[in-house]
Amino acid sequence: MRKIGITRIALAFAAVAMLSACGQDEEAAAPAGGDTAAAEASTEVKAQIEARQAQYKKIGGAFKTINDNLKSGSPDIAAIQAAAASLPEIAATMGDWFPEGTGPESGVKTEALPAIWENRADFDQKIAAFQAAAANLNTVAQGGDVAAIGAAFGATGGTCKACHDNFRLDD
Amino acid sequence: MAVGTTRIIIWDWAVRLVHWLMVLLVPALWWSAEQGWMDWHQRFGLTLLGLVLFRLFWGFFGSRTARFVPMIRQLGALPAYVGKLSGGGGKAHFGHNPLGTLSVFALLLAVGAQLGTGLFTVDVDGLESGPLAIFVSFDTGREFADIHEFNFNIVVGLVVLHVAAIAFYYFARRDNLVGPMVTGRRAQSDFAAGAPQEIRVRPIAFVASALLSVACVYAVLNAG
Repeated sequence: MRKIGITRIALAFAAVAMLSACGQDEEAAAPAGGDTAAAEASTEVKAQIEARQAQYKKIGGAFKTINDNLKSGSPDIAAIQAAAASLPEIAATMGDWFPEGTGPESGVKTEALPAIWENRADFDQKIAAFQAAAANLNTVAQGGDVAAIGAAFGATGGTCKACHDNFRLDD
Repeated sequence: MAVGTTRIIIWDWAVRLVHWLMVLLVPALWWSAEQGWMDWHQRFGLTLLGLVLFRLFWGFFGSRTARFVPMIRQLGALPAYVGKLSGGGGKAHFGHNPLGTLSVFALLLAVGAQLGTGLFTVDVDGLESGPLAIFVSFDTGREFADIHEFNFNIVVGLVVLHVAAIAFYYFARRDNLVGPMVTGRRAQSDFAAGAPQEIRVRPIAFVASALLSVACVYAVLNAG
């Protein structure tokens, strides 16, 4: 009876260890594939990729500000409004952040998947959905109704996820 | 196990309960994170935080074999203990042996670090965050996330080591450590003559440890 117990536990942990190792392989495999041609173009491509990553970090920062305040008992409406107002501005040019050649084939570390350029129309549609949701979030935020902001924020987050599910490497 | 052998309690029920709940929660935390079920990840995480805090308080107020100070005191005997390991046989330790002590502290430290960083972690989109992430910037929260992700490998490594050590005791030394961790009991004949008495849990110590750990988790949840 005890032998079964120990075997079971050992198997469970072996499974855990193996499954988590699978996740790492996936991640490690992605940024590979740089060649000499890509290396020549890489300075500009690298700058483009880093610039868009910086923009997404700004969006992440604004989201965190809104999220923190929505979760707090006494939300700072002005902080939410400022963060919400920054979103449409940042997002306006998002469609231009992904020129051909700035995917993982560039050899630069990026979580942008080749699917972006394979299904460009779908990708652009997802960006448009985010831009519309962010514009709406801003409008609602300036109204100052916390419950309505929460709903609009949730909807905006949903448009992020809808795109990330297909077009960004699973983190 | 011969019939009629006296079996005495070496691990109190609180130690065993915390141990096996950790065994359930660590994989559950990993799985919920992999699936992106962050509300469950957070619930499991706060539960585990409460359990680890309880175990820390229990290390001071708990039964004799749960306490940290005697465990630390015997670490000096570690080299001698390791030297005799391959020999096999010998009488069992009443409580943690010096190697087991290391395992306990390493696991508590690694899991504690995992919980601590998780409290401040922010996801890549700024949409999900730990309960204390409100006190750090997005960039700092992302750094916590990186440590949180890396440290999980250390947790897994220590768990594998822990399970391997128990397998070693079972197969190489014919010493079943899992049974006592389930039942709390071990044959008195496994211990040297004049072995210690059974351990005792003081109800007041349990209530105090439980209340303290719940209070800490409550404070974390309401810190925002």
